[in-house]
Order: sequence, then structure tokens, then C-alpha cells
Amino acid sequence: MDAETMKLLAAGLAMGFGAIGPGIGVGLVGLGALQALGRNPEARGPIMTNMILAIAFAEAVAIYALVVAVVLIFVA
Amino acid sequence: MPKRRFLGCSFPVLIVLVVVVLALTVISILSGALGQALLGDMGLPDWITVGRPHVQLPADGIFHISGFTVTNTLLASWVSIIVLVALAWAVTRRIKLIPSRLQSLLEFAIEWMLNLCVDVAGEKNGRRFFPVITTIFLFVLFNAWLGLIPGFGSILIGGTEGHQVHLLRGANTDINMPLALAIVSFIFVEYFGLRSGGGLRYLKKFINVGQFFRGAGQLIRGKVRAGVVGVGMGAIDIFVGLLEGLSEMVRIVSFTFRLFGNMTGGEILILMMFFLAPWVLAIPFYGLELLVGLVQAIVFAGLTLVFATIAVTPHEEAH
Repeated sequence: MDAETMKLLAAGLAMGFGAIGPGIGVGLVGLGALQALGRNPEARGPIMTNMILAIAFAEAVAIYALVVAVVLIFVA
Repeated sequence: MPKRRFLGCSFPVLIVLVVVVLALTVISILSGALGQALLGDMGLPDWITVGRPHVQLPADGIFHISGFTVTNTLLASWVSIIVLVALAWAVTRRIKLIPSRLQSLLEFAIEWMLNLCVDVAGEKNGRRFFPVITTIFLFVLFNAWLGLIPGFGSILIGGTEGHQVHLLRGANTDINMPLALAIVSFIFVEYFGLRSGGGLRYLKKFINVGQFFRGAGQLIRGKVRAGVVGVGMGAIDIFVGLLEGLSEMVRIVSFTFRLFGNMTGGEILILMMFFLAPWVLAIPFYGLELLVGLVQAIVFAGLTLVFATIAVTPHEEAH
């Protein structure tokens, strides 16, 4: 397998494996937010704001994996 | 009885709209890569078929100002600065007690940000943090959204290296701009942390050697058990302090890559969708890009606000 093929394969694996954790993480954040919203619909404002922040934290890790994949394909 | 209206249009207008949308869908599928793969070479004219997308990660230079290369992303950030300043000037030129439409739109945005700052940081700190946080939010938002205006990336111009480059490119896709904003936010957080309650108290969070030296002193004075416990806990304290300092530094990297990755990923995604089927596949992803631009602006400003609030809150002793 030459270098070009390995780079493409590595990019695919990087993004694929890198999206498992954040996917589960974002789902868990959503679960917590929806449960809290169900218990206390009046606290909608703070719950939604904090949910967006927590989702951004969890998604940042997936974005790191995306950056690695993009660098592998287009730069390296 | 009023005439029946579908989505606000009368029936003939609706038929015309449906036909136009269907025609555009068919043409876009034919001219993109999907159609070319399914139906082979149909001899469509050059201006309809879509060429291979060319993704460029580093920004292209446009002209030089005495040795400093001005890139197309820098030009786009200047454009968004000009747009923001012009908007603010146009609204406050004749500011009224009963606001006009543009004024009430801007008042809505400013009031929303002020409520967010005061909710997270408390009344006094919220007002102190408000200018920088709102600037970061509006700058990131306009950088992201101006890049979505049709025609923004279409102007081609001869670049510094000779080949044709885009005149304007979304400023968030160049890694230097998110890096600059992350450094600004870091300096902002550290400045307010050092200013509240004196510099030494803030630095004690990271260099936490008090317990360690107390334990060493007790050992020297002969109280072995208390001394050993003190030294042990002190070592853990020093380690935790160093880790907190490291996580402050890593925040710069994480802010940079979160904004850069989201924006560049969105740009590449839309590029690929244009390659596959120019008009019909790109529209849902356009909507996604609008949402992602707004969410990333909120996240950048909101996270800076949260970290600044943590920095000025007095550290409660847990032990």
C-alpha cells in the first residue's frame, strides 16, 4: 500500500472513529437537557443555553478529528 | 369569499414556482457529478457542468503592502468590520425613543447579549464583560454570515502567485483569525482574573505551594504524621495547580480549532455539495451553515464569558 492510499485510509479512520465519542456525548447532553426540561418546563431559558454550551464542548472533539482528517487529505 | 391561497400565492403562481423548482432540480442533478456519473457525457455546455472542487486550506494572498501579504480572508474581515461600523452608525445617527425597525433589531440583539452576560456573570461583572463579549459575538457572526451571501466568493482576481484566486473568503476559515480571537479572549480572562482581588490571589490558584511548605515545616519541627500528610496533600495541590494552568493554555488551542474546524468543515461541505448537484443539494447545507455560524458565535462568546466568570469568582477552599 503506497503512501497516498494510506493517507486516504487514515483520514477515513480518523473521522470515523473520532465521531463515535462525541456522538454519544452529545446524545447524553441532550438526554440530560430533555429530562430537566420535562421536570421543570419553566426553566427553559437556562437549560437551553447551558445545553448549547455543553454540546459545543462535546462537539469540539469531533471537530479536532475533522481537522486531522482534512489535514491528512489536503495538506500532508 | 377570498381566493384560496397556497403558501401566500395564488394557484397559477404556485404552478409556475413548482415547475421552476423542478426544472432547477433536474438541471442541477444533470450538471453535477451525480448526473455525470449516472448518464455519462451528455455534451452539456461548459458553463453548466461543475468542475472538480479545489480546496485550499491556507488563504491566498491578493496584494502586498510593503512586504506584508494581504490575504483574501483578511480582506473579508475588513469588509465585515466596515459592515458592522456602518450598521451601528446608521442606527445611532438618529436614535429615537420609539425605535425604528433597524434600531429595534439591533436593540434586540444587544439586549439579548446583555441578558446573557448578566445571567452568567452577575449584575456588576456582567456589565463589565459585556463590551468584549458582544464584540467577539458580532465579529464571529458577521464573518460567518457574510460569507454566505451569494456572490461573496465569486469574484476572481489575479493573486500574488499568479493564478486566479477568490477576492473574498470567509474570515473564519483562515486559522489566524480564530487564533487571534482565542488569544484576545485568553488575555481578557487573565486580565479580569488578575484584577479582581489582586494578582497574587489569582496566581495562587495555579502555584499552590502553601500546603506543601506548611507540611515541610511541620516535618522539620518534628511532627511527623501531620508533616507527611501535609507534604502529600501539598504535592497533589501543586500537581493540580499545574494542571489548571495547563488547561488555561490549552483553551487557546481548543477555541481556535473549534471555530476553525466548524467553519472550514462547513465550507468544504458546501463545496462538495456544489460538486455533486449544484443547487438542490446545497440548499439544506446552506441552512446548516447559517445555524452553525450562529451557534459557533454564541459558543465562542459564551465560553469566554463562562471562563471569565470562573476567573473572577473567589476560589472556595474545598479542604
